[in-house]
Amino acid sequence: MRVLIIEDDPANQKFLLHSLEQNGYDAVVAATASKAEELISAQTFDGIILDLGLPDEDGLTLITRLKSAGMTAPVLILSARRSVDERVRGLETGGDDYLTKPYALPELLARLRNLLRRKDLSATEDNTVLRVQDLKLDLLRREAMRGEEVIELTTREFSLLEYLCRNAGKMVSRSMILDQVWGMRIEPETNVVDVHIYRLRNKIERRGAAPLLRTLRGMGYVLRDK
Amino acid sequence: MSSAINNPPGSVRTVFTAAWRISIWSTLVFALGATVAFVFLHHYVAGVIEQRSDAWLLGEVSVLSDVAERTPRGALYDRIVDEIAELATKEVPADPGRKTDTTNSVFFIETDASHALKLWVGSGNSAPYLDAIGRSSITPGQPEDVDIRGFSTPYRVVQYQTEDGNRIYLGMSERNDRRVLGRMRAYFLAIFLGIVLLGFALAFFTSKRLLRRVRRITETAARINQDNLQSRVPTTRVNDEVAQLAGTLNHMLDRIARAVHQLHTITDSLAHDLRSPITAIRGKLELALMANQQENASEPIVSALEELDRLADLLTRSLDVAEAEAGALRMHPTNLDVGELIQTMIELYEPSLAERDLQVALYRLNAVSIQADPGLLHRMVANLFDNAIRHLPRGSSVSITLESRGATGRLTIEDDGPGFPTEVRDHLFDKYAKGPQSTGNGLGLAFVEAVVTAHGGTILATNTPQGGARLVIDLPLAG
Repeated sequence: MRVLIIEDDPANQKFLLHSLEQNGYDAVVAATASKAEELISAQTFDGIILDLGLPDEDGLTLITRLKSAGMTAPVLILSARRSVDERVRGLETGGDDYLTKPYALPELLARLRNLLRRKDLSATEDNTVLRVQDLKLDLLRREAMRGEEVIELTTREFSLLEYLCRNAGKMVSRSMILDQVWGMRIEPETNVVDVHIYRLRNKIERRGAAPLLRTLRGMGYVLRDK
Repeated sequence: MSSAINNPPGSVRTVFTAAWRISIWSTLVFALGATVAFVFLHHYVAGVIEQRSDAWLLGEVSVLSDVAERTPRGALYDRIVDEIAELATKEVPADPGRKTDTTNSVFFIETDASHALKLWVGSGNSAPYLDAIGRSSITPGQPEDVDIRGFSTPYRVVQYQTEDGNRIYLGMSERNDRRVLGRMRAYFLAIFLGIVLLGFALAFFTSKRLLRRVRRITETAARINQDNLQSRVPTTRVNDEVAQLAGTLNHMLDRIARAVHQLHTITDSLAHDLRSPITAIRGKLELALMANQQENASEPIVSALEELDRLADLLTRSLDVAEAEAGALRMHPTNLDVGELIQTMIELYEPSLAERDLQVALYRLNAVSIQADPGLLHRMVANLFDNAIRHLPRGSSVSITLESRGATGRLTIEDDGPGFPTEVRDHLFDKYAKGPQSTGNGLGLAFVEAVVTAHGGTILATNTPQGGARLVIDLPLAG
């Protein structure tokens, strides 16, 4: 997977390049809009990570121009602006995504993953049953089972577990959970998400078995897939 | 702690409009002026007519007396005077162009010194005339009004005393004069009514047209709020007072828009300048954490990450509050059901609240839907719940009541905790105001107030009679 990183800040550039390479992406960096345009015209990328504040051009203008010129690669927009522009929201509905700075790396990776997957919708999306180890989620019947035992879950707990299962083996942050499960981009000052996870954990974990749901302090949670 | 809610101008009943009042007053003043002018004119015309009649009477009576004095007494005397008098009655000054009925209009009487009738020229019986003259005392050569039985209008009578002691009376009915004046009054009344009605209609429609422009300006100005600073009130090519008002308003809006834009630029660049390094630091910490996942060395990295997130959050909130206080919060409003939104937030916070033994009850008395930015409202309610979790003692309960009152939706949040501490009660909504035991950043309620104000609402914080805290938030309902 080839990803183009368009970012002018050297420290963030280095960090993104390093993290993406570590996660198995083939990443290329462009520090300016003109450099990015040059690269895109010369080679094909599967995805683009774009910082809105570029020195020579507004990132949105660049993207709009590239898209109208026939570029199909999905774009993950990084914005240091606090509230997100209407135009960015427009792009979100057009198949792209955005993230405000500072972001957590797992969230960036998760969103990038989603974007690239959205591009070639594979059969995994059509699954009506999700399996992670001996955990089984029947999405049609909204039923969760651990082994042979049915787990009683509320609607929201089911959605939370479904989200964790879909991202099994990968870390999800608290803000990702709030965004994807509750549909709100808020940053609570109290540990609301942790308490929901705690309740869910009490229902899905079994005494004697290795824990399924692991906390990564300062980052988020991961549902182990093996 | 209240800010006026901008009511968009609704329809006003005609009788309450300024156009109506202006027309009523101008018409009244005009009518009064016209009436006063007419009274003077009437008085003048009546005087002129009377003078003319008097001059005629005096002239005729002197001719008659001359004849009476010069004609020797005898049978001839009566005939000559009779004829002269007859002629005189034919010369009555009447208004021109109109056939005037001269019957009964002039009479001639000659009496002797003892007031006995000597000669009578006129129509009908002389008795009532003689009687009326007997009752009134008329100075010779001075015409006066005399009322005669059987006639509704008085007679103008002049007396002349001949040298032999006889008295000559010449009277003329004022009927024709009165008729002229009466016709003048009728004409005036008709013209007056026509002009007053026309004037009123004219004043009403011109002022209404003028004020409609003012109204359009008001409507546009009411529609202009912080997420829509680009629209301007309509202007016209005519450079009158209303156009100047519109121009001034637009000029002011330009300045506000520039100031808001400047603030956005400043906060954006500040946010950018601070966030990019925070992002870089965060990235380095994350890489370090991934490298030492299993070791104890990760603890300082984790707490550094957490501190950094708090710093970033504080930065976001401070800039939000700064923008909101300047009335420049960026909003993307949609139609929102506040009850649904709070229900979702309660569901999100329920485990955290339960963990602290806090009970929350939501009473939705009416459906309340408002035009609001969902992101801002989510964060506002999250702030309120964070506050509750932080400040309420275990076992407290919170009740949230949602009701609509006319054009506003009211959200009342009450708890049975210790209430707002006295130290901060007067500046609860100020930035960085917090109670002595507070562990928050002091931006929570400032942000809540900012969001409420940005949506055109008001917020009021008090303590309940039982000592708990109470917040009352009023937000305008969706049109």
